[in-house]
Amino acid sequence: MKKLFLSTIFLLLFTTLAFSEIKIPVASPYTGPLATFGEGVKNGALLAAEDINKAGGINGEKVKILLEDDMCDPKEAANVATKIAGMKDVYIVVGHLCSSATLSALPIYKRAHLPAISPASTNVTIGRLSKYYFRNVYKDDFQGKFLARYADEALHAKKVVIFYENNDYSIGLKDAFIKEAKKRGLKILGTEAYTQDDTDFKPILTKYRALRPDVIFIPGYAPQGTLIISQARELGFKCKFMGADGLDDKIMLQNPDAEGLMITTPFIPDKAGKAAQKFIKEYKAKFHSEPNWFAANSYDAVMLAAQAIKHAGKNREKIRAYLASINSPAKAFKGVTGATYFDKYGDCQKPAFIKVIKNGKWVGAEIQIK
Amino acid sequence: MFWQQLVNGLVLGCVYALIAVGYTLVYGVIELINFAHGEIYMLGAFFMYTYLNAGISFYFAFVLAVISCIIVGIFLDIIAYRPVRHSDRLSALITAIGMSIFFQNLALIIWGADIKRYSRHFIPAFFRKLAINLPNDSIPIFKNVFLTVSYLQVTIIVLSILLMIILHLIINKTKIGTAMRAIAQDKQAAALMGIDVNRVISFTFALGSGLAAVAGVLIGMYYNSIYPTMGYIAGIKAFAAAVLGGIGSVPGAMLGGVVLGMAETFGAGYISSQYRHGIAYAAMIFVILFNPSGLLGKKRVEKV
Repeated sequence: MKKLFLSTIFLLLFTTLAFSEIKIPVASPYTGPLATFGEGVKNGALLAAEDINKAGGINGEKVKILLEDDMCDPKEAANVATKIAGMKDVYIVVGHLCSSATLSALPIYKRAHLPAISPASTNVTIGRLSKYYFRNVYKDDFQGKFLARYADEALHAKKVVIFYENNDYSIGLKDAFIKEAKKRGLKILGTEAYTQDDTDFKPILTKYRALRPDVIFIPGYAPQGTLIISQARELGFKCKFMGADGLDDKIMLQNPDAEGLMITTPFIPDKAGKAAQKFIKEYKAKFHSEPNWFAANSYDAVMLAAQAIKHAGKNREKIRAYLASINSPAKAFKGVTGATYFDKYGDCQKPAFIKVIKNGKWVGAEIQIK
Repeated sequence: MFWQQLVNGLVLGCVYALIAVGYTLVYGVIELINFAHGEIYMLGAFFMYTYLNAGISFYFAFVLAVISCIIVGIFLDIIAYRPVRHSDRLSALITAIGMSIFFQNLALIIWGADIKRYSRHFIPAFFRKLAINLPNDSIPIFKNVFLTVSYLQVTIIVLSILLMIILHLIINKTKIGTAMRAIAQDKQAAALMGIDVNRVISFTFALGSGLAAVAGVLIGMYYNSIYPTMGYIAGIKAFAAAVLGGIGSVPGAMLGGVVLGMAETFGAGYISSQYRHGIAYAAMIFVILFNPSGLLGKKRVEKV
């Protein structure tokens, strides 16, 4: 038995020496109702690893992406995070996608002194809770405020109804939206909560039918968002629909009722810069679909993680210090989604755009606000 | 608002009733809570999706989806439940839960995790037309009444009621219905009277699965969102409806479904959208607290 044990150890050592590679776990939902979001994250990360390895890897070592499935479920996220934090040869994590999953994994990474970059979690509190958490996406307070400004300045809305999902992401967005909307004198007719399991929104929609809202704001995810929009149209609502980046999903494009839906996004393919065009071309060639913002942000996050390992070495603390030192526009990491640099909480300032569904396709909205 | 909520609740209730009847039929005959029943409903929606995408016309695809689910239901009985029929009830119950998880994951592998929709041009345009559309400015009394009812909603309600009547006739007026009731009373005595017990039980599963498939297709069209876990919540709700109406009683399941649908709709509309499920379950608990055998359930006398 002992012999077997020793030989296994040797074998393991041998394999790690022979194919020395650097593991970067990418945690995201790859199954479950939000798997399509994870798909973008996965493809973006795999493309980044391919590009890094084509350019010679990190100091000669190849990058290997470990796909860790958290199903966007806080309980699963905690399991996955514990597994990742326990791997001695992991120095940085990319993930998680959903804010609730990130908030659940956060204390585990913090205890293990493991730095993490989230490509998509926008909840406000994340940065403040751990100095090991960084993200290359904007926060919900910015996004919510931006949407309220858009509703007022571009859509001239007067009466708004809000449907939000009972999770960290949605509540953060809703609160930021309401704060700015009240300041601007928009009337919030009502805020209604729902859960991930709900499919029937007609009873709640019926309440607002006679009040004739101008805009229904849905700071949730696409599976329920598409149902709310269709059921509202069936009940005869003529209003506009707005949402945040959580509604950015194929299923919206397949829904003819969602024509005209406006959402925020950190990345618009037809309005992106030069570096991004190369990324879009490569992505289309490899995955036969247009990259969404999850893919673009995930690509950048893996690239940034690789750069951090390259400069700081295989040391969790040093990598954290390196990421924290990217703190001004001059030192910014330049990726396909623009320049990324962190404030003292590890959060970043990124521009937002509004895109709209036209003839079943996402296009940049005609009116953009700064 | 009240009338619209009434329609919303009735549609939801009819669908719960269609699923609940499947639970109650199986329980009535072999005293098994078939937890995989919600998954048959889910499979119905997915079969329809596959057949429509294969280019089969709508009504034929509908019939095919129902037949496919009937076959799955019969196989479910033969493969999973028949071997444990004579062991204690717990092993059958655990088998049922296992089959539920199995079907969910099977659907996940076959169709994938992302939400599917029936493409609009596959569905007859008739269903989207509005049967009632108010406010109607030309009729003054309806100026401030908001009520829209689509033909799909009318179809759901009418079809559910029709199927329930047919089911009632099958159970009470046909030979096989009599056999089902006989087995429900005493399996062994029924077998001694020359009834093929296994065949009748398979028929029961077929009947329940067919109704679940109809519910699956209708809900797939109504919400236009089908995914592998859709059977779970619907199954739990329908089970609650069956218990509320009195498990084992077919008219009870129908009534239970409608009561639960109404409680949920009015709870969400008038009290709080956050507690809609809580309100629905509270209604169920309230009923069985005062009437443990459910609204129309048979009172069982414990013989000592």
